[in-house]
Amino acid sequence: MQHHHRNRHRQGQETVEENKEKRPKFFINDHVDILVEILKRLDGRSLGVAACVCRLWCTITRNDSLWEDLCFCHLSPPPSRVRSIVVALGGYKRLYMACVRPVRSRLGKVRGASWTRDEAQLSLSLFCVDCYERLGGVEGSNSSTGRLVGESSASSLMFLCKPVNV
Amino acid sequence: MELYDSATSAWSSSGSSSSSSSKPPPQHQQDIDGLLAEAGYKIRSSDLRQVAQRLERLEIAMVNSPADFSQLASDAIYYNPSDLASWVDSLLSEFTQPATCPSEFIMDPVTNQTVVNNVWTTDEPHTPQVHQNISYEQQSLNHQLTVVTAMEENSGIRLVHMLMTCAECVQRGDLSLASSLIDDMQMLLTRVNTVCGIGKVAGHFIDALSHRIFQGIGVGSINGGSVYENEILYHHFYEACPYLKFAHFTANQAILEALEGHDCVHVVDFNLMHGLQWPALIQALALRPSGPPLLRLTGIGQPSPDGRDSLREIGLRLAELARSVNVRFTFRGVAASRLEDIKPWMLQVNPEEAVAVNSIMQLHRLLGSDSTRNCPIETVLSWIRSLNPKIMTVVEQEANHNQPGYLDRFTEALYYYSTLFDSLEACTVQPEKALAEIYIQREIANVVSCEGSARVERHEPLAKWRTRLSGAGFRALHLGSNAFKQASMLLTLFSAEGYSVEENEGCLSLGWHSRPLIAASAWQVMPDPAAEFLAWDNHQSFS
Repeated sequence: MQHHHRNRHRQGQETVEENKEKRPKFFINDHVDILVEILKRLDGRSLGVAACVCRLWCTITRNDSLWEDLCFCHLSPPPSRVRSIVVALGGYKRLYMACVRPVRSRLGKVRGASWTRDEAQLSLSLFCVDCYERLGGVEGSNSSTGRLVGESSASSLMFLCKPVNV
Repeated sequence: MELYDSATSAWSSSGSSSSSSSKPPPQHQQDIDGLLAEAGYKIRSSDLRQVAQRLERLEIAMVNSPADFSQLASDAIYYNPSDLASWVDSLLSEFTQPATCPSEFIMDPVTNQTVVNNVWTTDEPHTPQVHQNISYEQQSLNHQLTVVTAMEENSGIRLVHMLMTCAECVQRGDLSLASSLIDDMQMLLTRVNTVCGIGKVAGHFIDALSHRIFQGIGVGSINGGSVYENEILYHHFYEACPYLKFAHFTANQAILEALEGHDCVHVVDFNLMHGLQWPALIQALALRPSGPPLLRLTGIGQPSPDGRDSLREIGLRLAELARSVNVRFTFRGVAASRLEDIKPWMLQVNPEEAVAVNSIMQLHRLLGSDSTRNCPIETVLSWIRSLNPKIMTVVEQEANHNQPGYLDRFTEALYYYSTLFDSLEACTVQPEKALAEIYIQREIANVVSCEGSARVERHEPLAKWRTRLSGAGFRALHLGSNAFKQASMLLTLFSAEGYSVEENEGCLSLGWHSRPLIAASAWQVMPDPAAEFLAWDNHQSFS
């Protein structure tokens, strides 16, 4: 939450001082646009924490565009087609949770370190395979097929999960 | 020391024997260990453990006191070396220091060689004086433990030796000895850990061998599972280890680069299965800077016996994915039980489109040749050439399982599949791991117990494929650094540390601990100078 306080301090400096005379306190929830700008700059874990603060913040963090910056931060702006594809495949939040976060941690990326276009493309490809597997069950008539696909739908990315040490 | 020829009887007291086949041991000498007897050593099975321990001690003593050793070499009288127990004892008594240091035999699973690891002197200098500091209790306890480990490792080594001997009997046609070896091995399996390591692989090989011995060659195929079962097993093999993912991603990268700049592309997949390779290609084409092309996919697969059109179902799923990412897509399924039954007209290739042919572990199935027909591989390669593809991606197992000699094939397969199972140990997701093992087990069964047209798993190494494809009019395309980078990145995502990607004259191979297990390569058709001249001449005459 350090970003929050720092940004508020920087951006709302004069507003705070002005408003101190006009209103007793500055309530960030009144300024959703500023809140969104701040939340956009958070890393994944902080964003998850922010989602637990209150209902408004929870609703805001569900907005996919917040997660877009997280996925493709430090990359030169990708062509607009990427957005439509990612949205079609399940959205940026899913992309981040399912692929980008485990891939980055496996590749040893420090939080905030830039990552290359190749890594982004690999994540996107893995995400696409996962989405395709979830598509299964197009034909609902054969129940055993549905069961097969349902079972394996989540497993294409299982190898990215940390093994549990029993 | 003399080593007797294994074919001669080991129980004759004279050096040579006229018998040409090894006789079963006479009743009163039943307790003599059979394997060592074939090599010329007479040891009772009950004495094996003690002799092994004493051999350990002898080796340590020799290593630690070179002075005594040189004296030993110059003037000493030995007992008959075939009586190994007393020979070792006599040598040990020559040494002044009784080395009681416990040590472990460690079996390198890849090379199956034993490496003696001296537990106590890893950090300290190699002096026998160190041992005296250790308390007696600890010594004996550790010695007991290492005896247990040594016994288990010895059982593993014995299993491997027995497997080789059994395979050699099968090659010779001596099925009675082979079947008695099977019984021995199955008893030995109970003493070995079959959950992991050599025990598990050995179990599968024993099953395959017994199938071959008792049910005959090619009588009902051991892997005659339904098409549906095969697809499920393949899917779980895809999930459990990176080999298929590596194959798909590498092939996709090569296809993407080759089809750059074309607006009408046609991909022919020789084994569609669940179509897991194509979502990534569809997505990559969607993000192409010049915009997505019209993508036609022709998927070849097995016909399903129960009337389900599985090819069409997969095509529908791929079409839905392509539609969601705005790639124009059409799918065509071609059902054929064998690849050689396909004729090029079934694929309906347009002359204007850029064709890519993709074969993931399918070409080796065409290497079996009946004496009456042509080798099917040549037929298929020639019609591939006639399609004039921009690229043909070939991924094959990097193994030599198509040798004419059975023992050679068996030995190769044992090493290959041991390594493969080793790499599978790192997988933690169940039930994917168990089903992936069954998938591999079916391959083993086919290599070991089938012959003729039933034996479809005829893997050949990359070098042989290079010769074969070059001879059929193809030239190799280098896979490029992007493919290599992608493969390396993919591997770091897998939690196991043993995988390695190697580049070899433009081809990539993925291996476990530097033993390559699967190799990916890309090919294009070598232009036929005569045909080109004809085409140019025709063009000239019409213009």
